[in-house]
Amino acid sequence: MSESAVKKTESPETAVLALHEKFLGGDQAKASLRPVNQAGIERFELLKFPHKKHEMYTFVNTHQLAGTAFELAADSPVDTAWVQSKIYPACKNSVLVFVNGAFQENLSDLSGLGDSFKIRCLAEAVAEDEIKQTLLDSLEDENDVFAAINSAFVHHGVWIDIPAKATFGSPLQLLYVSTGSASAPVTSHPRLIMRLGEMAELKMIVAYAGTRENYFINAVNDFIVKDGAGVTFTQVQKDDAESWHCSKTRVQLHRDARFFGRNASSGNRLTRHHYEVRLKEDGAELHLSGASVLVNQEQVHNFIRIHHEAPHCSSNQLFKNVINDKGRSSFDGTVIVDKGAQLTNSDQLINNLMLSDEAHADNKPNLMIFADDVKCTHGTTVGQIDEDQLFYLKTRGLSQELAKSLLTTSFVDSLIQTIPFPDVVADLDEILLKKLEAKHA
Amino acid sequence: MTNETNSKTASVDEVLDKGEYKYGFTTLIEADTLPKGLNEDVIRAISLKKKEPQFMLDFRLKAYRKWLTMKEPAWPNVRYPKIDFQDISYYSAPKPKKKLESLDEVDPELLRTFEKLGIPLDEQKRLSNVAVDAVFDSVSVATTHKKKLMEVGIIFCPISEALQEYPELVEEYLGTVVPIGDNYYAALNSAVFTDGSFVYIPPDTISPMELSTYFRINTEETGQFERTLIICAENSYVSYLEGCTAPQFDTNQLHAAVVELVTLDNAEIKYSTVQNWYAGDPETGKGGIYNFVTKRGKCAGDNSKISWTQVETGSAITWKYPSCILQGDNTQGEFYSVALTNGHMQADTGTKMIHIGKNTKSSIISKGISADHSSNSYRGLVKVNKGATNARNYTQCDSMLVGDQCSAHTFPYIETANNSVQLEHEASTSKISEEQLFYFEQRGISRENAITAVINGFCKEVFKQLPMEFAVEAQKLLTLKLENSVG
Repeated sequence: MSESAVKKTESPETAVLALHEKFLGGDQAKASLRPVNQAGIERFELLKFPHKKHEMYTFVNTHQLAGTAFELAADSPVDTAWVQSKIYPACKNSVLVFVNGAFQENLSDLSGLGDSFKIRCLAEAVAEDEIKQTLLDSLEDENDVFAAINSAFVHHGVWIDIPAKATFGSPLQLLYVSTGSASAPVTSHPRLIMRLGEMAELKMIVAYAGTRENYFINAVNDFIVKDGAGVTFTQVQKDDAESWHCSKTRVQLHRDARFFGRNASSGNRLTRHHYEVRLKEDGAELHLSGASVLVNQEQVHNFIRIHHEAPHCSSNQLFKNVINDKGRSSFDGTVIVDKGAQLTNSDQLINNLMLSDEAHADNKPNLMIFADDVKCTHGTTVGQIDEDQLFYLKTRGLSQELAKSLLTTSFVDSLIQTIPFPDVVADLDEILLKKLEAKHA
Repeated sequence: MTNETNSKTASVDEVLDKGEYKYGFTTLIEADTLPKGLNEDVIRAISLKKKEPQFMLDFRLKAYRKWLTMKEPAWPNVRYPKIDFQDISYYSAPKPKKKLESLDEVDPELLRTFEKLGIPLDEQKRLSNVAVDAVFDSVSVATTHKKKLMEVGIIFCPISEALQEYPELVEEYLGTVVPIGDNYYAALNSAVFTDGSFVYIPPDTISPMELSTYFRINTEETGQFERTLIICAENSYVSYLEGCTAPQFDTNQLHAAVVELVTLDNAEIKYSTVQNWYAGDPETGKGGIYNFVTKRGKCAGDNSKISWTQVETGSAITWKYPSCILQGDNTQGEFYSVALTNGHMQADTGTKMIHIGKNTKSSIISKGISADHSSNSYRGLVKVNKGATNARNYTQCDSMLVGDQCSAHTFPYIETANNSVQLEHEASTSKISEEQLFYFEQRGISRENAITAVINGFCKEVFKQLPMEFAVEAQKLLTLKLENSVG
C-alpha cells in the first residue's frame, strides 16, 4: 500500500495495533506470554497485511479480512449440548474443548488417554526457557502475517508433551468452537504446541465449528516430532459460512518421524491452510492431503512449503477440490530440496473439478531443487466430469443426473475415505457430500 | 541518479536551450557514438539519426517516460550486480567487423568448436568474419534469398528501413503485442531500440523458405536492444529462425530485446531460436551476457497459430518467456524449449499462454538441464479467461540435474476461470538414470556417449520441432556444452 493511502484513512494495520494495546491493557493478556506477544506484534509491523501482488497471497483476497475491525472474543458461555454434539463418539474420553480459544475444562475429558498424556496451559509452560525459546524462535523467520498476529494475541494456548514410546488407544480430538458475537466481528487465536518423544504415536483430529457468523479464527499449531515418532493430524473445517479461517501448521520431523496431515474444508468466506514442514533428519516421511467442496463465493487456499533438509526423506501431497458457483480454490505449494538432501522422493498432485463457468481454480505447484539424485514430480489438472465416464454409467442405465452426481461425489469421496477415523468420514460425507447433493437436487 | 549523470544531463540541456536544431544538437547527431547515459535528448537524437517518422519519436518518448516510473524487477530467480543504466551508450553507428585474412587468425578455441558442430568450411569463414572469395560471396545465401522473397511480396528488412519505407505497417502493429509499459526492459527497449528485423507476410502466402536473421545481419554487430516485429497476414505461413549454434561474443553485457509476432486469420508463425551467447568464465561466471528478452505473439485472427521453439545454451543470465496471447477463436499456441545451463549460468525461462478466444489450445514442453554450479528455473503461466470456452492446455516441464552443485526449479502458475477447460500440468525432476547408463555401457558404449544419447533422448520432443539442420547442430551443441560437466 502506498504511504499516501495509509495517511488518508486509518490503515488496517493501525486497527490491529490499537486492538493489541487494548489486549495488553485488558485482563486477558498473560504476563508470562508478554515477550511472545511483543515479538509477535513487532513481526506483524514488519510484515504488514499483504498487498494485492504479494507473492504469498497472489490468489487470496485478504483485503476484506484485513479491512474488518475485529474485537477480541470474550470468554462466553456456550450451549453445552451443541458442543457435545460436535464431539466424535470415538473421542468421547479424549477430547479437549476450546471456546473462542479458551480451554473448557468442564467440557473436556482426557480419561481415555491415561497418565502419559501431559498437557499444560501455555502461559504456565512458557516459564521453561526451552518452551519460551521455541515460541520466540518460531517468530524469527515468520513469513505469515496471520501467524504473527496469533503470537501477538496468544493468551490461552496449550502445550502437550507426549513421552517417548507412548501410544494411545483412542484418537485425541481438539474441538475449537467459535461463538461469534452479535455486536461486532470477533477474533480468536488458538495456539497448540506439541512435542512427541521418540517412538511415540498419536492420532488426532482438530475440528473447527462455529455457532454464529462473523468471526475470524486464526489458529497456529506447532509439532516437534522426535525420532521414530508418528502423528496423524486431521483438520476438519466446518466453520460458519460467514466466517474467516486461517490455520498455520508448522512441523519439524526428526529421524524416521512420520506426519500424516489431512484437511477437509467445507468452505466459508476464506479458509487458508498454511503448512510449513521441515524434514530435518534422514528417513522422515510426510503425507499431506486436502479436500474441499465449494459453493457460492466460498474460497479455500492451501499454502504449503516443504523443506527437505536431509537425505532419504519422502513427501507426498494430494489435493482435490470441487468448485461450484463462484467458488474459488487455490493452491500454492513449494517443495524445496536442499543441497545434500539426496535420494529425496517427492510427489505433488492437485485435481480440480469445475462445475460452474464462474468458478475459479488457481494453482502454483513449485519445485526448488538443489540436489541431483532426487525424484520429484508435480502435477495439476483442472477439468470437468469426464464424458467417457458419464457415457459408461449411462450405458448401464443410470440417468444423466445420477451419473453426474455419482462421479462428482466419488471425486472427493476417494480422498475422504482414506481418513482412518470412521466418525470423521461419516461427518464429512454428511457435510461435503450433502453440499453437492443439494446442488444436484 | 548520480551527480555525474546529472551534470551530463545538464550539459545536454544547456546545449538544447539554444534551439532545437542548432549547433549542440547536431554534434549529437553527427557523433558515431552517443555519450553514455539516457535522457529524452538521447532518444530524440536516436530517432533523428534513424530519420524516423514523428509517431516513432512519440512512441519512444512515451516509453521512456513510462520507464522512469518503473522499477527493475526483483522477482526472477537470478542474481546479478545492479546494472547502471546511465553507464551505457544507447547508440553507436554500425561498425563493420574487422576482416581477417585467413582462418589461421581465428581463435583456435573457436575453430575447435566449429569443427565439433560440423560447420562447413565456408560457413566457418563467414561466421568468424574471414574474407571469403568473391564467388562464394556473390552467390551468398543472402542475395539469392532476398530476390526470391521479393517475388512473392514478402517484406524482410531491418526495422529501421521498414520505419522509413512502410511506416503505416509498423505504426499499426508496433507495441500492440508488447505494450511500451509491459515490463522494465520492454519499456527500455521501446525507448532506445536501434536495430532489429521486420517481416511482413502478405495474405495467402506461404514463405518459400525459412527466414533467418542469419542472412540479414552479416558484417555488422548485432544490436544491444533489438526489436523484431513479424506480421503474418491471412492464410499465410512463415518459419523464422533466430540465432545460430556458433558461439556468439559481444562487447555489450546487457541485451534487452523485444520480439512481437502477430498472426491474422488462419495464419501461422513458427519461431525458432538457438542461442549460444557467451556465458562468462566457467570458473567464476564473470563477464557473461545478460539476456533479458520479452518475446510475445498474438494470435489475433481466428484459427491462427504461433509456435515458439527455443534451444537456450548461452548467456550468463537468461530471462525470457516467449508467450502466446490466444485471442482469436480456435487459435493455437505452442512452446517447446530446451534450456541448458552449466558453469555459473542462471536461467529463468518459460512461457505464458493466455487463453481468451473460444476453443483455444496450447501446449508447453519444457526441458531443463542444469550442470556444474548453474541454476535453471522454469516459470510458466497458463491463464484461462472467463470467455475461453473449451480451452485446452497440456504442460510438461522436466528437469534433469547433472552434478550435485546445480539446482533446478519449477514455478508454474495455473489460473482458470472457466469450467469447460481441460488443463494438465506435469513436471518431474531427476538425474540421469544409472540403469540406463549401465545398459549402454554393457553394450560397449562409453559413458560419455551414453550420457549424450540419454540427454538427446530427453530433449527429442523439442528437437524434432526444429528445422532439420538446426536440430542436428543443436544436438551437437548440447554434447559440446556438457563435455566437461559430466565426469
